[in-house]
Amino acid sequence: MLVQVLRRLAVFVLSLVAASVLVFAFMAVLPGDPAQIALGVSATPESVAATRAAFGTDRPLVVQYAGWVSGLPVGDFGSSYVSRTAIGPQILDRVQVTLWLVLCATALALVLALPLGVLAAARHRSASGAVVSGVSQLGIAVPSFLAGILLVTVFAVRLGVLPSGGWVPPAQNPGEFVRHLVLPVVALGVVQAAVLTRYVRSAVLDVLREDYVRTARAKGLGPLRALARHGFRNAAIPVVTVLALQVATLLIGAVVVERVFVIPGLGSLLLDGTANRDLLLVQGVVMVLVVAVLLVNLLVDLLYTVIDPRLRAG
Amino acid sequence: MSLPSRRRRALAAGALAVVLAGCSAGSGTSEPSSGDPAEAAPSTLAVGLAAEPASLDFTTTDGAAIPEALLYNVYETLVKLDSESGEVVPLLAEDYEVSDDGLTYTFTLHEDVTFSNGDEFTADDVKYSIERVQSEAWTVSLKEAMSIVGSVEVSSPTEVVVNLSEPSNDWLYRMTTRIGAMFSETGVDDLANTPVGTGPYVLDTFTRGDSLTLATRDDYWGEAPDVEEVTLRYFEDATAMNNALLSGGIDVIGTLQSPESLERFADDDRFEVLEGTTNGELVLSMNNARPPFDDVRVRQAVRHALDRQAILDTTYAGYGELIGSMVPPTDPWYEDLTDVAPYDPAQAQALLAEAGVSDLNVAFRIPNLPYAVTASQVVKSQLAEVGINAEIEVLEFPARWLDVVFQQNDYDMSLIAHVEPRDMTIFADPDYYFGYVDPEFQSTLEQAGTADSEQYVELMRQAARQLSEDAAADWLFVLPNLIVAEQDVQGLPVNRVSESFDLTGVTRA
Amino acid sequence: MSTAPDSQPAAQPAPVLGARGPAGRRRATAGLLIGAVLVGLVVLTALVSFVWTPYDPLQVDSTARLLGPSGEHLLGTDKFGRDTVSQLMLGARTTLFVGFIAVGLAAVVGIPLGVFASMSTSWLGAAVMRANDLLLAFPALLLAIMFGAVFGASTLTAMVAIGIATIPAFARIARSGALQVLSTEYVLAARAAGRRRVGIAVRHVLPNISGLLIVQASVSFAIAVLAEAALSFLGFGTRPPTPSWGRMLQESQEFLYLTPRLALVPGIAIAVAVLGFNLLGDGLRDRFDPKLEDR
Repeated sequence: MLVQVLRRLAVFVLSLVAASVLVFAFMAVLPGDPAQIALGVSATPESVAATRAAFGTDRPLVVQYAGWVSGLPVGDFGSSYVSRTAIGPQILDRVQVTLWLVLCATALALVLALPLGVLAAARHRSASGAVVSGVSQLGIAVPSFLAGILLVTVFAVRLGVLPSGGWVPPAQNPGEFVRHLVLPVVALGVVQAAVLTRYVRSAVLDVLREDYVRTARAKGLGPLRALARHGFRNAAIPVVTVLALQVATLLIGAVVVERVFVIPGLGSLLLDGTANRDLLLVQGVVMVLVVAVLLVNLLVDLLYTVIDPRLRAG
Repeated sequence: MSLPSRRRRALAAGALAVVLAGCSAGSGTSEPSSGDPAEAAPSTLAVGLAAEPASLDFTTTDGAAIPEALLYNVYETLVKLDSESGEVVPLLAEDYEVSDDGLTYTFTLHEDVTFSNGDEFTADDVKYSIERVQSEAWTVSLKEAMSIVGSVEVSSPTEVVVNLSEPSNDWLYRMTTRIGAMFSETGVDDLANTPVGTGPYVLDTFTRGDSLTLATRDDYWGEAPDVEEVTLRYFEDATAMNNALLSGGIDVIGTLQSPESLERFADDDRFEVLEGTTNGELVLSMNNARPPFDDVRVRQAVRHALDRQAILDTTYAGYGELIGSMVPPTDPWYEDLTDVAPYDPAQAQALLAEAGVSDLNVAFRIPNLPYAVTASQVVKSQLAEVGINAEIEVLEFPARWLDVVFQQNDYDMSLIAHVEPRDMTIFADPDYYFGYVDPEFQSTLEQAGTADSEQYVELMRQAARQLSEDAAADWLFVLPNLIVAEQDVQGLPVNRVSESFDLTGVTRA
Repeated sequence: MSTAPDSQPAAQPAPVLGARGPAGRRRATAGLLIGAVLVGLVVLTALVSFVWTPYDPLQVDSTARLLGPSGEHLLGTDKFGRDTVSQLMLGARTTLFVGFIAVGLAAVVGIPLGVFASMSTSWLGAAVMRANDLLLAFPALLLAIMFGAVFGASTLTAMVAIGIATIPAFARIARSGALQVLSTEYVLAARAAGRRRVGIAVRHVLPNISGLLIVQASVSFAIAVLAEAALSFLGFGTRPPTPSWGRMLQESQEFLYLTPRLALVPGIAIAVAVLGFNLLGDGLRDRFDPKLEDR
């Protein structure tokens, strides 16, 4: 098992390196000179050259890459070409915001999806199961930004009970923090819940078909009790996997909801960086997002190795 | 939908004047109550604006959002532009005198003015600030306007003399813009994050991607503003900004980006809609430097092919004003030139035939700004009527549009609002992306620059007409300034003729 | 929308959403039928738009702005005076076009990679799947924003980005399906008989996993439709004046107070297409998934 874990870690490190090269190379081919863009439209060639030297964009690409990548492990993403401020703290600020949003949405999704999914599986032959399946299908089909727009229209504009958007840090005012979080979390979470419900249902269905659960049911236990006694752990593995990856990909997926609700999250930072041609910033944000997915993948795989005896043997 | 008629708009403007008069009276009478410190909670205001500053340093970073937030509020200038009259009025300079030959400006400064870092503001700072614009420290292109200054002499702590190398009708006006901002030598270390000026407000917090908060300072030299804390909140999305106002997240929409929603606010008792004007000419540029638009007849054909009222109706719900040249109605040399190239598709087709072009395909490269995306689609449809196929290509603003259109001049037609004040001169720059080179126009402007003030206006008027007749571009209309505010907010800068969103006169009842 | 099932890891079984038993079977068939009808509707609309739309969808008419539904304009007009029905029809074309190219790209690249990885005994096979995992770290939205930054956002960059992001899903499903087929007796026999690997792949593996792949294509299509809508909404997708449902939605936002119809119509269209492809995919899965037969 140790060998397996070590091998997995090696793959992770290699993936990180490969990802950083990919991201850097991709940004290096971006048209437009950051120095020129930072200085505005009719700057003198001398000042452009000076700024280029200050940015370090006049160095060979390999040197630039080495400089960039060596800072990453300690959270040094360089300084923005546009705002001339350090990128690391900016990303940190935004990650916190997006994490709040994503984790709360995921929690909401879990709260909704677990009972609904189990219900849909246990009652999959009855009408209630079908209704849950149908509703979850509909939920997946509604784009989260449409859900967001409708929520704002109803709850913020028409009823005026919740703010239409914006962000208040929890430390500044916990009450306002929660009020501002409700609508975006619902917009994001409900769609997530719809997706998750389908996974929970299928995972539970799979477990219900396992021999040991069938035996338990043959002894007279209802599906839920049989499940409760024997199956939850097994059903939980695939669900946790999906959940973890949902969280990782939602970091960027939340960008649409961030835009609708004017939330200064990671996705908005990426969009702003793109519009301002803030290369290093974009590079940094993309890298953070990619590392998040890779890291979650790693954790999930390690979890498997630890939990699942079959994989451990194999 | 029904469009506001000219008459109705004229009425609105009239009502506005009354409101503004009322507001100054109102603030006078409310003095006693706000003078009771025990009761008065700090008055706050949240204003929604569209573009967020990329940095807070306008000396090295271009973009209108920085002076919009900081000029007159945090930084002050010797003279400022009055947002009502559009005239140059004293600010840090108590008074100024211009010599008869137009070469020497003598400014008398207010006493007891301090920077927000506590340092005193004196004539030395004026010298320092002006010379700093000319130095390498300033990198934005606007600094060129300061190159005309030959020397700055400090004659006493409150008197400074600026000598120009040649007379200029423009320089004093430029001193009301960001290049006229007064800096302290001890306050320029971290301009991108910590601005230090003499203005009534200081930067409190700047949360990127969200908002910027200004707070009043105790030791301001002039009359303290009524509102003690102003939050400028930035919205990428026009609808999000509207929703914020409707749900109480902000008190004012600084510039309404989605005019169609105006009806919603106009019908609501809680809000007041203010319509003013701007310096923003929406320019449909045609690349004069290359075919097909190197032919004046083709350019004129485009102008005749466009029904500008229809474009205005679709893009700004009928708000805004048709102009016909590169001059907004608030400039002294404005003249209605809409009759130079009226909407006349038959004439357009005749001109195209005369020029010998048919089945014209043009690359229409526009920035991804809401008004450009909307207007371009109407333009495309109208040009199709006369047989011109404009292929719309949307480029991200600022980066890609600046790169492709502005720098490389790789375009046939584009569309963007030029919001800089008194910017007709850009057509005299042969390197500018219009590719318009006309010695006669250039010499007219040159003469105007040094002429006496009466002649100046006449020559500028002549230049504008020349530009229009030559179809150097098409000027679709001047952007309206649409503000929506809660009823109790008064004194907002209704006309956006300066670079600043001037908060110093704002009051809350 | 990034919550795509394509992010499911290899070790996890594909969700089995069709239920067993007579009732379940009937319901699955009903789902398949509804899915087919909805997808058919979208496809038909797109096809008809090639030969006929009520109006020229790009025709701007400032005298006919923001009209309500009427006999002349069944769903009214937008702020340009363009007919909403005609826009919607052309939007269907955009949606399907993006979906086809994106899913096609993912299939053409992903399937051979997956099959190759399943048959390869060298390190190369493992390397392919590792590269595949790496690609998973670049979701469609992220790729599309990056592409948009480099090449300028357009329908092309959007669909290529969505396509690339969908490759891992195809590679994985192709690999796991192929592994199953490869372990069957007749393939083992064919191998023993000395057939070349390419021959086995083409003759035995691909036909046997085609069902799985069609299911994956249908599900990926639904995800692609959502992704395109989200990108157009953010300004990273289809460019004006080409009609696209996502952009119609984005453009209609400012009319939300006065004419919510303009936002609801494209919203419903998106939902119909996504629902259709998802139901179709699930229904097909019930038919094709070999695991279900022995249960």
